[in-house]
Amino acid sequence: MIEIDENRLIPCPVCAAVNIDKGKTNTCRRCGSAIYHHKNFSTEKSWAYLITAIIAYIPANLYPMLITNTFGTHEGSTILGGVVLLWEHGSYPIAMIILFASIMIPVMKFLILIYLLISVKYPIGKDRKVDKHKLYYLTEVVGPWSMIDVFVVAILAALIHLSNVSIVAGTAATAFAISVFFTLLAAHAFDETLIKENR
Amino acid sequence: MKLENEDALDNYVICHACYTLHEAVPIQDGAKACCTGCGGILYRYDTKLIDHGLALSITGLIFFALANIFPLVQIEILGLEQFITIPKTIFSLFDSGFYIVGLICSFLIFIFPLMIFLINLVLFTLLKLRRGEKLSKELLILLAYITPWSMTDIFLISIMVALVKLIGYAQIHMGIAFWSLIVFVMIDIYIVKRVHLSELWMLRKRIILEDKS
Repeated sequence: MIEIDENRLIPCPVCAAVNIDKGKTNTCRRCGSAIYHHKNFSTEKSWAYLITAIIAYIPANLYPMLITNTFGTHEGSTILGGVVLLWEHGSYPIAMIILFASIMIPVMKFLILIYLLISVKYPIGKDRKVDKHKLYYLTEVVGPWSMIDVFVVAILAALIHLSNVSIVAGTAATAFAISVFFTLLAAHAFDETLIKENR
Repeated sequence: MKLENEDALDNYVICHACYTLHEAVPIQDGAKACCTGCGGILYRYDTKLIDHGLALSITGLIFFALANIFPLVQIEILGLEQFITIPKTIFSLFDSGFYIVGLICSFLIFIFPLMIFLINLVLFTLLKLRRGEKLSKELLILLAYITPWSMTDIFLISIMVALVKLIGYAQIHMGIAFWSLIVFVMIDIYIVKRVHLSELWMLRKRIILEDKS
């Protein structure tokens, strides 16, 4: 018989098996992955990815996402410009989807991750009222959906390349894809056990 | 809390959404256990999971092949016809110099979904034949890393968004691949997204224990 403190049980980040938190050199008893727990650098990796994502998000909004060439005239539209254009054309549902996927979700994810990363390390925002596990779960679930805009651009660019009318992806597509990629990495790198420890 | 040894921890589950500790209780076939804290699903119990998994992995692979070979959508614009397939979409990104986006897209909508279904196929075969204890462990670990990166469902919604954008400018005809992709995404949601990895680990443990006794 062994005595275990219930608060020291943590799930393996890879296989979700329940493990006893043994500190620094802990490996999962089921899959053997390291349940990495660095006392000093617990959030730095996630911060690094998140900052990269935020930096990449700036050109993603400034440069054109789509460049439409019609009969020799080039017309670029940024993410926000595209949403406004769709709204003016009357396709409200699509405008809403793009607005949600490309602007609301990334910004929301940045804010939630910044809040989580700060609140697990510093005494700011240490309240029990906000369910941080739910917030984190939300970012993990809705996060990948911001890829919609990149896929749409890829499809339109592949579909429409006639001699007179063609659509080409813009610089923002690369920046936006990188931004989404790094936010996903940041969310995965975030150590969820820290939430419990710092409650 | 008192336990006999560390392996007895397998009888406990931590909710992946809200981190509440639960004791795993045996449930009826086809039933699901829900978290008391947030109502999220902890695990399901399905005696035919291996057979379902094996059958649906093969079906999924067939539909994935169809979705990649045949044209996805065909449009008529200014009297000219254009069509795209999934590989063509990715290659056109490379052709126009968007290597990073092309690389990311090819992984998210082609390589990872294919890998997941191939891994599932091998995994369920191993479980069915009751062999390959080590290989199935490695496959499950690999699966845990790549599952969050498969985005065919998001790609499907993107196709619809792109087509709605084109309404009014062009005539749109859906191809065979589009319907195949819908079926593939449904299978993907049923067998990959709905089944938690911990259920597969539990299944693997049950089979190993049965073999030993």
